Amino acid sequence: MSERILTCSAALAEALHEEMRRDESIFILGEDLVAHGGVFGQFKGIPEAFPGRIIDSPISETGIAGCGVGAAMTGMRPFIDFHFSDFLTCGMDELCNQAAKIRYMSGGQVKLPMVVWCPDGAGLRAAAQHSQSLEAWFVHTPGLKVVVPSEPADVKGLIKAAIWDDNPVMFFQHKKLFAKEGPVPEEEYVIELGRAAVKKEGRDVSLLCYGAAYYLCLEAASTLREDAIDAEIVDLRTLKPLDMDTVARSIRKTHRAVIVHEACLTGGFGAELAARIQDELFDELDAPVKRVGAKDVPIPFSPSMEDFVLPSVADVLEAARAVTYR
Amino acid sequence: MSSDKQTLLEIYRTMVTVRRFETMAGEYFAAGQIPGFIHLSIGQEGSSVGVCSCLRKDDYVVTTHRGHGHMIAKGADLKRMTAELFGKKTGYCKGKGGSMHIADFSIGILGANGVVAGGLPIITGAGLSIKLRKTDQVAVAFFGDGAANRGPVHEAMNMAAIWKLPVLFVCENNQYASTTPMHYACSAGDLYTRAAAYDMPGEKINGNDVLAVREATASAVARARAGEGPTFLENVTYRLKGHYEGDPQKYRTTEEIEIWRQKDPIEHFGRMLAQKKYLTKKHAAQIREAVQAELSEALAFAQNSPFPEPGDAMADLYSNP
Amino acid sequence: MTVEIRIPKLGLTMTDAVLVKWLIGAGDRVVKEQPVCVIETDKVTLELEASGEGLVHPIVEPGRRVAVGEVIGYLAADETELEALRAHHATAPTGPKETPAPKKPEKIRGATAMPKKSAGRGRILASPAARKLSTTLGVELKEIFGSGPGGRIILSDVQRFAETMRSTPFAGGYDIATVAPETELLTVAETIAIRGVRKIISRNMMLSLSRQAQLTLHTEASAVALRDMRALFNTSLEEGQPPVSYNAIIVKAAAQALRRYPMINAMVDGRDIRIWKQIHIGVAMDFGKGLIVPKIRNADTKSIQTISGELNDLAARAEKQHLVPDELWGGTFTITNLGNWDIDHFTPVNNFPESAILGMGRIVERPWVRDGIVVPEPRISLSLTFDHRIIDGALAAELLKFIKDRLEDTRLML
Repeated sequence: MSERILTCSAALAEALHEEMRRDESIFILGEDLVAHGGVFGQFKGIPEAFPGRIIDSPISETGIAGCGVGAAMTGMRPFIDFHFSDFLTCGMDELCNQAAKIRYMSGGQVKLPMVVWCPDGAGLRAAAQHSQSLEAWFVHTPGLKVVVPSEPADVKGLIKAAIWDDNPVMFFQHKKLFAKEGPVPEEEYVIELGRAAVKKEGRDVSLLCYGAAYYLCLEAASTLREDAIDAEIVDLRTLKPLDMDTVARSIRKTHRAVIVHEACLTGGFGAELAARIQDELFDELDAPVKRVGAKDVPIPFSPSMEDFVLPSVADVLEAARAVTYR
Repeated sequence: MSSDKQTLLEIYRTMVTVRRFETMAGEYFAAGQIPGFIHLSIGQEGSSVGVCSCLRKDDYVVTTHRGHGHMIAKGADLKRMTAELFGKKTGYCKGKGGSMHIADFSIGILGANGVVAGGLPIITGAGLSIKLRKTDQVAVAFFGDGAANRGPVHEAMNMAAIWKLPVLFVCENNQYASTTPMHYACSAGDLYTRAAAYDMPGEKINGNDVLAVREATASAVARARAGEGPTFLENVTYRLKGHYEGDPQKYRTTEEIEIWRQKDPIEHFGRMLAQKKYLTKKHAAQIREAVQAELSEALAFAQNSPFPEPGDAMADLYSNP
Repeated sequence: MTVEIRIPKLGLTMTDAVLVKWLIGAGDRVVKEQPVCVIETDKVTLELEASGEGLVHPIVEPGRRVAVGEVIGYLAADETELEALRAHHATAPTGPKETPAPKKPEKIRGATAMPKKSAGRGRILASPAARKLSTTLGVELKEIFGSGPGGRIILSDVQRFAETMRSTPFAGGYDIATVAPETELLTVAETIAIRGVRKIISRNMMLSLSRQAQLTLHTEASAVALRDMRALFNTSLEEGQPPVSYNAIIVKAAAQALRRYPMINAMVDGRDIRIWKQIHIGVAMDFGKGLIVPKIRNADTKSIQTISGELNDLAARAEKQHLVPDELWGGTFTITNLGNWDIDHFTPVNNFPESAILGMGRIVERPWVRDGIVVPEPRISLSLTFDHRIIDGALAAELLKFIKDRLEDTRLML
């Protein structure tokens, strides 16, 4: 399969172009989309290619989310842009009480094909209300699916699966990764939700990660190799549904697991994954499951403090060495 | 808009059906056969039936925790509604929703909602969907005076207005948000005046006059279908029962209730039909009997239906896992 | 003043010991150097002596594994101090009954890290994966040394242990009913756990016979010169000095032989042969508590009298179980003497991982043909077992002949 290099943003835009051309029921709703093709340029070319199908909303996150729900259950496939994932708090009722539950509450009468696209993550000196990683909240809400891609090829394949999924899908893309480049196949493809990817094979420790943490693990793995620790990197990609089979296969091989995410540690997705690992793979473990995440404070503004709070490659190395008894 | 005898008698019959259905629900709730809690709209039938009498099957409504009337008026099946109230497998939601979450998407009922004002952003989305799909449907949100004070109402109305969506915001001002009087919680005293802030027509209607409601609704629906945008209707009415069945109602007097009982929308409409010679006492009795028979059938259906298997709780969450 | 009773470090590799029993009841008085308790390491069982006079306050109950340096009790100077101790530290039961020591993780070859303090205290610490693998392989965790934090047994410990066990079947480890069902007809008179010194012997014997290519040469020598030499030494004994033993003379002869034939003072290590600079000769002893082999260090540099003195001291302390572990390991060659039991010829087994062992029978008068005439002559039988992988038969024969020559003409040893 031939490939070219795209950024995460370009991969997203390309997927949207392809799918919006394919199906008229897909439309994009959010704030500040048309003038610049999205605040991060993520919808480049779409306003021109699909006039009227990318709609600027007032600053009304509740209304935007609710519109997504109403449109999804009346025959459309809305793609809701949440501007910054931090503002999800303003749409929580619509997402968690409505979108997540309406199908269930109605006894399965209706489908809710809806993508909630959320730029998230820290590292841009954007302080506490523009830097969060909130995926765990939504993993904790039955009825939603949660996707957190890392590489451009994943973004493209997964956003297509999210668009064609008949359920509300929370799709988190790290702001710092928009410009990240990577190979993307020329041909059209879809990456099924609920499929993790073993991005690097290894024997000694499984680094279980998603989103921006994938790049931390990638760097850590190359340092670990110098210490003769052969790390396997499992990019979970989808947190819900979770590909526990791939996680299990990896841990049965390495017997050691380090979970890495940028979200703060306590109550993070790592806690859930660690719990499942100890429950389902207890006898495979040669060491306690370690978690690496941000410290339990809001993301501070000043660079010295932000860098201190966020998980680092050194944190991953320390955890990997601890579980491999080095 | 048709106002022939047959149509009016059909409206009357629907109002009676709503009243009798809710009366029955109250009785079986009191008898412990209906789990949880229920909210009755007895006294508000003029609004629910009046509005829905102007809607097509493919129009959308969202309703509230007090939504039995809207559903019956929109054409919901009494058997499946009753079974849902009883928590039975044959109910609209297979027992997963109960009174507060009944929906029938096949006739445009996008659901009752347990969150006050929860339906408004959704109806705006339905309106947006109609506009994008270029159909002539309309979308109607029922909500109360309590919901009117929630933030989502503002966002939903503003968005509907800027995009000229075919939406009706129908506020049923029944005087109380749970225990809190409307005159305490709403600074302006009226709610319909808020429409002006969105450059949206707003009208205050006697919600206990089903024909007045019908007339206002018909014109709002016509505007919507014509692509002229949303309308705000404030249907002033009164809930004759408590906020929920079993409500001690210490926030109001029996005298106040009695005053409104004199304005009962069904009796009011029945008198009018009698004056027009459309309805005799005998005919009225026949209608009540027919409705009662229908309800008895629905009740038997519900009572004879099985409860869901406990494991059914795991079904219907995702369309595709 | 209150004095702590701690587990002493009695050797390079000692990290803990099992407190086998208290010899003194709680609150009883002891005098300096009076044995207070018995401890057992994986090498020896020995008595711990009081460092001074006082009243004993035990705080660790018998049967527990205790780390080196850990306090197991106190010596109170008087009743007041004893009362204060009782208030702060619960009195452990002492009692006459001997609590069996719990099974303990043996240090195995290849497991390098030291056991930590918490290792072996009751519950065995092991990672789930290590537990699972040990079950799969049918090895017992208590046999395995944990190199992880807090002495946790981790996967690699089990794998290494299993690797050793695969090539080194332990004497035990099978269920007799499965290998010999007819034993069900027998009645058990007594069951003795294979542990401590017995376990070490058992494993070493299996290692020796399963991992080396052993061959034994037999010969005998005239013991005339040997007997005369011993007699000569013992005519000039000072008052109370124990006599010089045959063993001391033979240790000296063997040490000289090893200096002459260094390939025999060697061991196989992986794919290499390690020839040692030092000549440390072990002398097998048995005082009914299991075979032990204390060492004469640098035997080639010591006089017969010195060697004899050391042997006497080692034997005396071995009998009282006062040897420390460092005196029991690190040998390069062993001699074993069964003459006391009227044995003439036997085939010794190498003291693994050493490569050769010299066995001696009794000295007994036999008819011997000398210059065509049958004469009575004291004779001693000698046997040399050696690892044929690294020692050729002729070389072993030369070494044996070298020793035989020196025993028959002791002047060669001077």
